Amino acid sequence: MLRIVTCFKWVIDDADIRVDAESRKLNLARAGYKISSYDRNVIEEGVRIQEQHGGTLAAVTVAPPTAKPCLKDALSRGPDAAWFINDPSFADLDAHQTSEILAQTVRSQIEFDLIICGEGSGDLYSQQVGPALAEKLGIPCITWVNKLTFDEEQKQIIAHRKLEEGMEIVSCPLPALVVVLPDINSPRIPTLKQVLGAAKKPVHDVNMKTLGKVPEAHLRTDKILAAVMDRRRIRVAGDAEGIRSVVNSLIREGVIS
Amino acid sequence: MDFKLSEEHQLIRQSVHEFCDRYVCPIADEVDQEARFPAETMKRLAEQDWMGIPYPVEFGGAGADYLSYVIVVEELSRACAATGFILECHTSLASYPLFKFGTEEQKRQWLTPLCKGEMLGAFALTEPGAGTDAAASSTVAVLDGNQWVLNGSKIFISNSPVAGVIIVFAMTDKSKGTKGISAFIVPAGTPGLNIGKHLNKMGIRGSLTAEVFLQDCRIPKENILGGEGQGFKIAMMTLDAGRVGIAAQAVGIAQAALDESVKYSKERIQFGKPIGTFQAVQWMIADMATDVEASRFLTYHAAWCYDQGMPYSKEAAMAKLFASETASRQTDRAVQVHGGIGYIKGTKVERLYRDAKITEIYEGTSEVMRMVISGNLLR
Repeated sequence: MLRIVTCFKWVIDDADIRVDAESRKLNLARAGYKISSYDRNVIEEGVRIQEQHGGTLAAVTVAPPTAKPCLKDALSRGPDAAWFINDPSFADLDAHQTSEILAQTVRSQIEFDLIICGEGSGDLYSQQVGPALAEKLGIPCITWVNKLTFDEEQKQIIAHRKLEEGMEIVSCPLPALVVVLPDINSPRIPTLKQVLGAAKKPVHDVNMKTLGKVPEAHLRTDKILAAVMDRRRIRVAGDAEGIRSVVNSLIREGVIS
Repeated sequence: MDFKLSEEHQLIRQSVHEFCDRYVCPIADEVDQEARFPAETMKRLAEQDWMGIPYPVEFGGAGADYLSYVIVVEELSRACAATGFILECHTSLASYPLFKFGTEEQKRQWLTPLCKGEMLGAFALTEPGAGTDAAASSTVAVLDGNQWVLNGSKIFISNSPVAGVIIVFAMTDKSKGTKGISAFIVPAGTPGLNIGKHLNKMGIRGSLTAEVFLQDCRIPKENILGGEGQGFKIAMMTLDAGRVGIAAQAVGIAQAALDESVKYSKERIQFGKPIGTFQAVQWMIADMATDVEASRFLTYHAAWCYDQGMPYSKEAAMAKLFASETASRQTDRAVQVHGGIGYIKGTKVERLYRDAKITEIYEGTSEVMRMVISGNLLR
């Protein structure tokens, strides 16, 4: 029986972020939260493999207790159970801490064959949690995956890795961790019955009492400011000469070659 | 007192919003301009369990509350008012009478496929000579052996060209006035049931509306709903509940007008500044937002009363009255904010402006809403 674990993060909905034009500070007072869109692909991939091969599907997150609404959201997308690893101090963790907390929980509480993580989180996008978690669990890690299949006979996964220079197809025995790209699937929208059924699924509460020591952060955030996009306001005429000058400047700046 | 939606209700809103972004918004303009029934969306609505939201799971429904249903209609209408209405008409007007007054067998046979989205439903009450005055109905039903024979004509029957079943109201005893009206379950394809050509509507053009003709249309005796003479009561109770759905549709339309106006006010530059920096526009946006919020609270409150098993007739009428007039008023403001471009087809506010008007008319006009509200206060 295939035991799948999907990791997800509850992040600020970037559509709700307001920026103060002068100070460039972010106003998050009315911001809502959502499951990081990369992690929706993670959960969908878990659901897809479970639909084909059976087994169990868990959703795991590390978050402050205020993130509780993330559980029904995640469970409405298909997983059988959720692990809610929470503490008020988990509001601002770095990838090193998150992967350590996940590793401790998975090692002590969750039996698994396959762990799926997203390419990066929708907020910090450090792209480190997946590989770091695999390292800490001592299992192989396959990154940049945009197609994933499970070979029941051989008990191995076959993953298509989308690399800069082409595709690489690898097979790997389980247990393993896979980091998936957003183009691996198109997440389904939860049905009404799935939304209503989410509350009936088990949630395992993991807190500091059950966790070991959480390491110190390696990263400190000093300041967050909105990016400013300066436009150059260059006017180009719509004739052949103008088109030539646009193409030339794009080549010069390495946009096209 | 709690003004916060439950986690489930928030998730429902999120899922409908996502659904609309993916499937409804991209075709909304085409559905309107070509007056095309969005059949592909209907199949998807069924897959999402949205075709029988407030009805029991045993009859194919989702077993959710009325507020869930209201949220779905609101969000669908925010993207496409026609799509929101097709679902509203199907759920409130066609399915509700079956749910409330149908026998177990009728529910099994008709409510279940409706809730599963295997067929659409329609509701045929209005006649050329009997709009608000339902008692002036001239369609008649006569029992002939084991069959009812229906004769007459209905007008403005939404969903009728695509419905699998129509709830038809007809006089079984003209001398009794409203107490002589009965409701019947008429399956599509019954000989003698003919659907006229599609009416060319001003708004909600993706929803198909037509005349329905009954000429010696014979249906089985057991297809009467709720017993002889119960039709007026069935129609009034159905419309009471339906009004909350129309209020939700109006809230969705008004919200969309606000969304578009806020967006445009930030983008449109005049006199070197976004027009949203001018007080004249700011005030329109402020009024719009306040009206939308008030409409939403009235609508959710009416749905909440329904869910609590409390009387909701007055609350539903207030919600529909205020939300529909808000939709008309604020889509007008939204066109004003947009200026010339708001008058051009293909601009969303132009569509919203036309879509809004009907919410003041169908399932009880604003005038009838005021009668219902004052009647509750003065009797």
